[in-house]
Amino acid sequence: MSLPQFKLLRPRTLADAIGHLDKHASNLRVIAGGTDLIPSMRQKLFEPEFVLDLRHIPELKGIHERQESGVEVGALTSLTDIEHSALLRRRYPVLTEAAATVASPVIRNMGTIGGNICLDTRCLWYNQSLTWRKGCGFCIKKDGDLCHVAPGGTKCWAAFSGDTPPALLCLNADVEIVGPAGSRRIPLREFYTGLGDNYRTIQPNELLTRVFLPESSADYSGVYRKLRIRGSIDYPLAGVAVVMKRSNGHIADARVALTAVNPAPVLVKGASERLAGKVMDEALAEAVGDLAARTAKPLTTSALTPEYRREMIRVFTKRAVLAAAAN
Amino acid sequence: MTNDFSIIGKPIAMVDAAGKTTGSGKYADDLSAPGMLVGKILHSPFPHARIKRIDITRAEKLDGVVAVVIGTDAPNPYGILPVGHDEYALALDKVRYVGDNVACVAAIDEATAEKALELIDVEYEVLPAYFDPEDSMKAETNLIHDNKPHNIEKDYHHVFGDPEKGFAEADQIAEARFIANEVTHAAMEPHCTLAAFEIDPQTGKPGRLVVQSSTQVPYYLQHKLSLVLEMPMSQIRVIKPLVGGGFGGKSEVIPLEIIAAIAARKAKAPVKVTYTREEVFWAHRGRPRTIVDLKTGIKKDGRITAVKARVVQDGGAYCSYGVVTILYSGALLGALYDIPNIQYDGYRVLTNKPVCGAMRGHGTVNVRFAFESQLDELAAKIGKDPADVREINLLKPPCITVNGLRVRSYGLPECIEKVVDRSGWKQRKGKLPRGRGLGIACSHYVSGAANSIIRSDMPHSTVNIKIDRDGGVVVYTGASDIGQGSDTMVAQIAAETLGCSLSRVKVVAADTDLTPIDIGSYSSRVTFMNGNATLKAVQDVKKQIASAAARKMSCEPQELTFRNDIVTKKKGHVGADAPVRPAEQSSAASVSGRVEGQILRGSLQQKRKDEGPKDSLSFEEAVVAAIDFHGALSGTGSYAPPLEARGGKHKGAGVGPSPAYSYSAQVAEVSVDEETGEVTVHKVWASHDCGRALNPVSVEGQIIGSVWMGMGQALTEEMVWKDGMLMNPGLLEYRSPSSVESPEVEAIIVESIDPEGPFGAKECSEGSLAATIPAIGNAIYDAVGVRLHESPFTPERVLAALRAKKNAKPINLTEGVDPTAPAKFREHGGSLWYRGKGPERHPLDPSRREAPGAAGGDD
Ligand SMILES: Cc1cc2nc3c(=O)[nH]c(=O)nc-3n(C[C@H](O)[C@H](O)[C@H](O)COP(=O)(O)OP(=O)(O)OC[C@H]3O[C@@H](n4cnc5c(N)ncnc54)[C@H](O)[C@@H]3O)c2cc1C
Ligand code: SF4
Repeated sequence: MSLPQFKLLRPRTLADAIGHLDKHASNLRVIAGGTDLIPSMRQKLFEPEFVLDLRHIPELKGIHERQESGVEVGALTSLTDIEHSALLRRRYPVLTEAAATVASPVIRNMGTIGGNICLDTRCLWYNQSLTWRKGCGFCIKKDGDLCHVAPGGTKCWAAFSGDTPPALLCLNADVEIVGPAGSRRIPLREFYTGLGDNYRTIQPNELLTRVFLPESSADYSGVYRKLRIRGSIDYPLAGVAVVMKRSNGHIADARVALTAVNPAPVLVKGASERLAGKVMDEALAEAVGDLAARTAKPLTTSALTPEYRREMIRVFTKRAVLAAAAN
Repeated sequence: MTNDFSIIGKPIAMVDAAGKTTGSGKYADDLSAPGMLVGKILHSPFPHARIKRIDITRAEKLDGVVAVVIGTDAPNPYGILPVGHDEYALALDKVRYVGDNVACVAAIDEATAEKALELIDVEYEVLPAYFDPEDSMKAETNLIHDNKPHNIEKDYHHVFGDPEKGFAEADQIAEARFIANEVTHAAMEPHCTLAAFEIDPQTGKPGRLVVQSSTQVPYYLQHKLSLVLEMPMSQIRVIKPLVGGGFGGKSEVIPLEIIAAIAARKAKAPVKVTYTREEVFWAHRGRPRTIVDLKTGIKKDGRITAVKARVVQDGGAYCSYGVVTILYSGALLGALYDIPNIQYDGYRVLTNKPVCGAMRGHGTVNVRFAFESQLDELAAKIGKDPADVREINLLKPPCITVNGLRVRSYGLPECIEKVVDRSGWKQRKGKLPRGRGLGIACSHYVSGAANSIIRSDMPHSTVNIKIDRDGGVVVYTGASDIGQGSDTMVAQIAAETLGCSLSRVKVVAADTDLTPIDIGSYSSRVTFMNGNATLKAVQDVKKQIASAAARKMSCEPQELTFRNDIVTKKKGHVGADAPVRPAEQSSAASVSGRVEGQILRGSLQQKRKDEGPKDSLSFEEAVVAAIDFHGALSGTGSYAPPLEARGGKHKGAGVGPSPAYSYSAQVAEVSVDEETGEVTVHKVWASHDCGRALNPVSVEGQIIGSVWMGMGQALTEEMVWKDGMLMNPGLLEYRSPSSVESPEVEAIIVESIDPEGPFGAKECSEGSLAATIPAIGNAIYDAVGVRLHESPFTPERVLAALRAKKNAKPINLTEGVDPTAPAKFREHGGSLWYRGKGPERHPLDPSRREAPGAAGGDD
């Protein structure tokens, strides 16, 4: 499978990058580590005329502690750097734990946090070669008008399958988005639309530049649990992130978020309320597991049956909250 | 035979190891030729369709396209088996699976060739297709091949002994359906072929065809190319470069190998075709999904009284090795244990899916999974230790089994003993904490088929050897090293027999112009057969050296020993100068290469003049003496399996017999997470009787690899189909285990020293695979008390079994949560491609509305 031809743009500054976006946005893809984009381009899921390479813009890299206001992570920071950051490990352990489960060590060296947040949603009927998709018939997400997974509707259910976003959601992270019109800062929650096809709210002429981890969620205990068939390489088939703060044996604050079972990473509704002020026990953990299973809407977009994956959300959530409370 | 070897039995690095690890070694895709074009194949999007029309004119006109070939460019059918010539390089009138080959474009680069594929206009008439073998067997119309009624490629019905009487004598009978889902080889190297016609220096016209291909069977490839291209074999040269794994996936002629040649013929330029990973999955030839209805009877004392197996294999769209596969499945019910009564009904069924063929453990693996699982069940029923039950049913060789297989060396008892001992089976079985368990299983395999598939009396292997004046040994062998180490094996046998250092031996292998016929690397035949041929060839030259050396040393040839680059008189003859010789020899051995050889020879001639008869000669002196005496120093040897090993007389008796069988016993230790159904394999003790380990590290590597591959089939690997479409045609979704899940494997070598194997060696690369799957299944049973009848044991299957046992809420394994999800994905209607409606169309959609910005990305 050949890589489609494109013109590679390599800006050295953010301003230049925005300039390119302003000019070519309608026919351009951004590349960070390329671990998601390049395979997809070979499959002809994207055939842009321009590819904008962000790797030579130093200001997009690095992990910086900001006095009294948490930590900023540049979008181009590699997952390996996040995994090995002592600062993040100490203050936001759920993020380092989630980052360490992405793909394999080699891919983490290339893959970035920005790319992980922007990761295209995945579906067995979509992440296939052009030949394959032609044989099957195209679907809503690319070139077609029906969904093979849920043919009754007109919605795409491709699953968001990044590992770090549920951790970031738990941490109440914000992201900075920069475009020709200036920059804005939004909660990560608002970054996703909940649709499988148009999964992000970011515009084609905008970039994700920074991730902000607020001071208020630092030092929470954190756990990330990932269902996958192999212990490496595999995308999550279901994932649960939990953060928790305790005082005097009680849970002071906690959040639970899921990935790979919906078109967007989502916070589990009602979990924080259910946990706050309680003492952790098996029954409470199970109750939160039930809440999580209710939030999860897995479909046949990946391996393992939806019913099983939903069941695992229940089990993994239960285990994750127990582990977070024991940390 | 003495056990005192200097090279055999020693852990030796593969002779091609450095080339592979440094990247200097060349695989097929590393090769290129001046003016080479890239070939790309157009595949069928339909599982079953008639081709009504192909129009290639638009593709031919595209800039950069040199040739487009279709079925009529090479209309001769072929197939690996003489009874199965049902394939065409490119489809003639029908396509039979998604991925079937329709046309090939040869162009200046890959992108151009891909673009041209889109311009080929094919009109199909879509036919009803068959995806399930049991449905397919009922077919009356729209047959996949017109000459195969009910889409049955072949069925066999064997009865040995008196199964009914056997079951009547049994105290316990178990009966169940086992399903082993489809798996594929997933070799690291995708298939690749570079085909080029040499310009005849006399006529200036394209003359001989040279094909360099990733193949396990250069000779068969040469033969099939000759058939399809209508060229004499002598005009075709097949060269096998380094091959990055085959496992059976390259053990027959794969479409691209012929397609590249016909494209090169039409383009009048060299053409290279390299499969994408998706194409490798379509080329497939892997292990068929197999339904085994198995019934076994056993007495209270543990004796098996009868076995009855009905086996249905989902073979895919063409014959391939299918007839052999279905026969192996039945034949290898015997030769492991002593089973007095066997009934076997085997059906090889055609379906509209990629073709199944030979895969590591060919034919035996799925039936072995069923049998060893059922034996475990029966052991529990009669209250006996499953390890003991296996020991109770051992064969007593030498013997002929009830289905006519000759068994001689038989290391199975020791294999069982060793794994039972090392794993602490007796102390630990049944006493591990909840959720953790041990399971045992055995398996075996042939060391080459005693009857070759080409049904001829020619030797299965022939090896030539020549030795030069400086003591350089060149072995010409047709054996195909596909990573298993046959070049190293050949070099070891030559060096050991000649008593020379390994570095003197150069192996020239698998080039049909240079090397004599060897039928290929499959059915674990190479060490046994090519090793024996090598041994004979080397003994042939050794005799010549010995007679010349003996004259020089005034003794009889039998009195000579060849060792460490020295030829010495045996016993008392080693005189006072003996301690000096080794030192001299070691310096001689360290001098390598031609230049030093020349110098050495000059000084040797000088020496020779000064001295009379000696007690020992250096290897070079002996060689020089032999060449002076005999003229050229060359030898040849060949191997054909003995008549007594070629099996019984019943229909299909040709498959199963082997000159020798390997044996394996394994204990697996697993734990099962009862809430998630996830299975972790902690350790596998695997013993393997390989006759003699010619190279122990290499044997251990094969055992570990077999266990690992078996574990993949047991736990994670499965080809998932939807309506004839492969849902996971890539290594991300087809999940071979990664290093993270790989358990510790304790490889235990058992040496039964086969009377006919070279130095007593038998096979070691396939026999261990089959035991791993039931060993893991049996361990799961021991851990949590559920018996899994379908492989792979994915977490959902395990969890479903656990829930069923507890009568807990069942998990629906096969359906999505959306009840409206279609059973047939091509027929649920509405896709743009098929119906031509909707807001946006793919640029390639024929009925595309030409609106600006209609096509494009999705965000
Ligand atoms: C074999 C394999 C296994 C994998 N397994 C996992 C896994 O287990 N878990 C997981 O989470 N991921 C997995 N991935 C996906 C991927 O490696 C990671 O998600 C990685 O973090 C993506 O980052 P990247 O920099 O390589 O993204 P890229 O491929 O460069 O970009 C991904 C997408 O985001 C866009 N993008 C990237 N950066 C920006 C930005 N700053 N602003 C706007 N848009 C941007 C790109 O245009 C593109 O559409 C796997 C990939 C492979 C090939
Ligand atoms: S969920 Fe449906 S529309 Fe979306 S990618 Fe999968 S098949 Fe296509």
